[in-house]
Amino acid sequence: MASAAAATAAAASIRERQTVALKRMLNFNVPHIKNSTGEPVWKVLIYDRFGQDIISPLLSVKELRDMGITLHLLLHSDRDPIPDVPAVYFVMPTEENIDRMCQDLRNQLYESYYLNFISAISRSKLEDIANAALAASAVTQVAKVFDQYLNFITLEDDMFVLCNQNKELVSYRAINRPDITDTEMETVMDTIVDSLFCFFVTLGAVPIIRCSRGTAAEMVAVKLDKKLRENLRDARNSLFTGDTLGAGQFSFQRPLLVLVDRNIDLATPLHHTWTYQALVHDVLDFHLNRVNLEESSGVENSPAGARPKRKSKKSYDLTPVDKFWQKHKGSPFPEVAESVQQELESYRAQEDEVKRLKSIMGLEGEDEGAISMLSDNTAKLTSAVSSLPELLEKKRLIDLHTNVATAVLEHIKARKLDVYFEYEEKIMSKTTLDKSLLDIISDPDAGTPEDKMRLFLIYYISTQQAPSEADLEQYKKALTDAGCNLNPLQYIKQWKAFTKMASAPASYGSTTTKPMGLLSRVMNTGSQFVMEGVKNLVLKQQNLPVTRILDNLMEMKSNPETDDYRYFDPKMLRGNDSSVPRNKNPFQEAIVFVVGGGNYIEYQNLVDYIKGKQGKHILYGCSELFNATQFIKQLSQLGQK
Amino acid sequence: MAVDITLLFRASVKTVKTRNKALGVAVGGGVDGSRDELFRRSPRPKGDFSSRAREVISHIGKLRDFLLEHRKDYINAYSHTMSEYGRMTDTERDQIDQDAQIFMRTCSEAIQQLRTEAHKEIHSQQVKEHRTAVLDFIEDYLKRVCKLYSEQRAIRVKRVVDKKRLSKLEPEPNTKTRESTSSEKVSQSPSKDSEENPATEEHPEKILAETQPELGTWGDGKGEDELSPEEIQMFEQENQRLIGEMNSLFDEVRQIEGRVVEISRLQEIFTEKVLQQEAEIDSIHQLVVGATENIKEGNEDIREVPHL
Repeated sequence: MASAAAATAAAASIRERQTVALKRMLNFNVPHIKNSTGEPVWKVLIYDRFGQDIISPLLSVKELRDMGITLHLLLHSDRDPIPDVPAVYFVMPTEENIDRMCQDLRNQLYESYYLNFISAISRSKLEDIANAALAASAVTQVAKVFDQYLNFITLEDDMFVLCNQNKELVSYRAINRPDITDTEMETVMDTIVDSLFCFFVTLGAVPIIRCSRGTAAEMVAVKLDKKLRENLRDARNSLFTGDTLGAGQFSFQRPLLVLVDRNIDLATPLHHTWTYQALVHDVLDFHLNRVNLEESSGVENSPAGARPKRKSKKSYDLTPVDKFWQKHKGSPFPEVAESVQQELESYRAQEDEVKRLKSIMGLEGEDEGAISMLSDNTAKLTSAVSSLPELLEKKRLIDLHTNVATAVLEHIKARKLDVYFEYEEKIMSKTTLDKSLLDIISDPDAGTPEDKMRLFLIYYISTQQAPSEADLEQYKKALTDAGCNLNPLQYIKQWKAFTKMASAPASYGSTTTKPMGLLSRVMNTGSQFVMEGVKNLVLKQQNLPVTRILDNLMEMKSNPETDDYRYFDPKMLRGNDSSVPRNKNPFQEAIVFVVGGGNYIEYQNLVDYIKGKQGKHILYGCSELFNATQFIKQLSQLGQK
Repeated sequence: MAVDITLLFRASVKTVKTRNKALGVAVGGGVDGSRDELFRRSPRPKGDFSSRAREVISHIGKLRDFLLEHRKDYINAYSHTMSEYGRMTDTERDQIDQDAQIFMRTCSEAIQQLRTEAHKEIHSQQVKEHRTAVLDFIEDYLKRVCKLYSEQRAIRVKRVVDKKRLSKLEPEPNTKTRESTSSEKVSQSPSKDSEENPATEEHPEKILAETQPELGTWGDGKGEDELSPEEIQMFEQENQRLIGEMNSLFDEVRQIEGRVVEISRLQEIFTEKVLQQEAEIDSIHQLVVGATENIKEGNEDIREVPHL
């Protein structure tokens, strides 16, 4: 019982931890306690783009206000002096940021300064600031200086990304390009390791690391192990001592960190998907939990000479407070459509209830007999009125999801994404294909050239033996006819040749999807989501390669794929990299980190996998988050030598 | 886990100082660093706005402390039989109410004043935004403290209403009626606030105690030696009838009371909403006025066109 509680506490989501850390920072580095009759304190928040990316998925502007922040400004913007106000800085310790901060000190913009660095600042840079503070006679104004170790972005309770601003630096392309120099590689690896280190400091646990051999992941593992080890040895400054971990946090087991390289599975990032969150990411403009929609104003019969209607842009935040999103982000799309319909109906019912009360109240003056109803109704009215804000919020969410889902549905219908999804699932699970690949590629109605390219690449990646030259030429011709750029194929060919040497690309599992017929009952209820012609496909649980690897390592199963993974334990006194794990028990907690980029499909797969297992938790992280479009672009750049 | 490197920073400052001295670099301040800092800082605009804002906050804080301090006594009502120490007369309560109200009014006026002044001198957008936000915070604080006040006031008003109601059932020309009704009151009072319990229980007793001697004299004054059995029966029936009437009256009154409380809550909610909408309606009004003007100008421009 205690261990279960401890385990859940330890897995207390990374999002919560980061939010708590941010709130403490905003409260002048003192733990934040809510006090309803406390005096207001006000402050100004200054951040750089990194800080902005970290804060925006976690705290809304209203929450910032609640913490007493009157203004939040970018570091490198024009800022006016505001007297008598403490300023909280949350920036990366880069050269230009430090210069700007020194400038602020010299210009005496604020009353006092609370400096917080996202990752640890070097001694020399600290001296630069000290110098500037001395020159400006502002040393006493610098009230506190902190290293926050928050250099990662948390998107979900159990998902994190390393960075958004400089993702080119650590992108798949950056790591895998042939002309990379050693020093450049070192820089990339250092950036990744720094963020991972911050992640583990915030999580408060030292993991056991496993990684495959001969990949970028291995480099990361070696460096991370070294960094953790150094920090643990330094007893005075160790960040992992017991008191920093907090009570109830310690699970009896340490978590497992599985470092995988993107190259073990290139098909998943290209895959067309069918779950809500992954679809939104694939098809719409979605990042840092914000989706941007361009709404077309429908059929425009504007009279000649009138100004054309402008498309309005809308953006929505998909947050943890949004209950519908939390419930349905992993559901297959038809289910989502149905649920929106249901929510809409229940909302309308509640609305009617309120309206009915209104009409009953109208009887009040006329009828004596109504007075007896009245006592009941006053209570009802009070509850109705007090529940109005809730109703309004619900309406807002329903509107939001209706808009988002409609946008997604339009894409699906236009590009026939359901057909692609089904076909790719079949390819990936090696069942027989009822339609030839060539047909789909040559079909002018189905999908954009990019979709076709994705489909072909998945086929190419997943087949055991490469298609013959003649076939290949045929495909190439069909693809070029459809308007595709063939550069990604170049790269994939090379990749395939390379990985063939290592091991055969792992199979994707043996189950299939079952199309459930053309129309769902959604159509029958006359909903807005007219899904005619769209198949109601049911997702079958099948484990993607990453999930399989995790399963093997977490459950200590023996499998040729993972048996020769390296093993690192930073807490062990003597660093030995034997492949023999000392720990024979299955792990309760694991963190999967993909070096080279990841996406929501993998995340969803892991979430589904762990749902079935009681008491186990997984966190998913990747160096960058891309959708298929972005990934194809990178592949094409790589193929373009 | 964040690491506090403030000490490291201060150490760096010392290092830099000594290094600069060694290199002979002139530092703004040098040895008299601290003194010079103080000197340097005084000519800085002390921030008229923020010092006044802080004044308002401290006022509100005083109000809050004042209310909290006397809250226990204020609420602990009708402590006739309690010790002198914890007692508070009604006049004192009225005084507190009045003072609190004056205080709140002054505070909100001060906030309004600050608002109008805040935007006058300053041209920077950021400072304006900051000040608006600060004033919002202060207003919010005031609202929270006022809530304290209104809560305890509501309790007090409720008590007064109850007390009045009880005292209306004061001595009737029948000991039995009064006894039975007041005992009924006593038995029903446990269903009210627990705080009121000792009060209401004591109260009817007090009424009884007070009016017993009264009745005695009055009874004597009637001058009848005994009541005939028929009259006794009649009186008894009347008693029963009166008891029934009182009960039903009482029930109805309670119901109405409940409804009135809820209506008052609704009123509160509605007032809040209406006030919120006021601001929005004002802005809509402005927009509409602006739009009408724009349209007028547009029409005039159009009219000019054929004349070209």
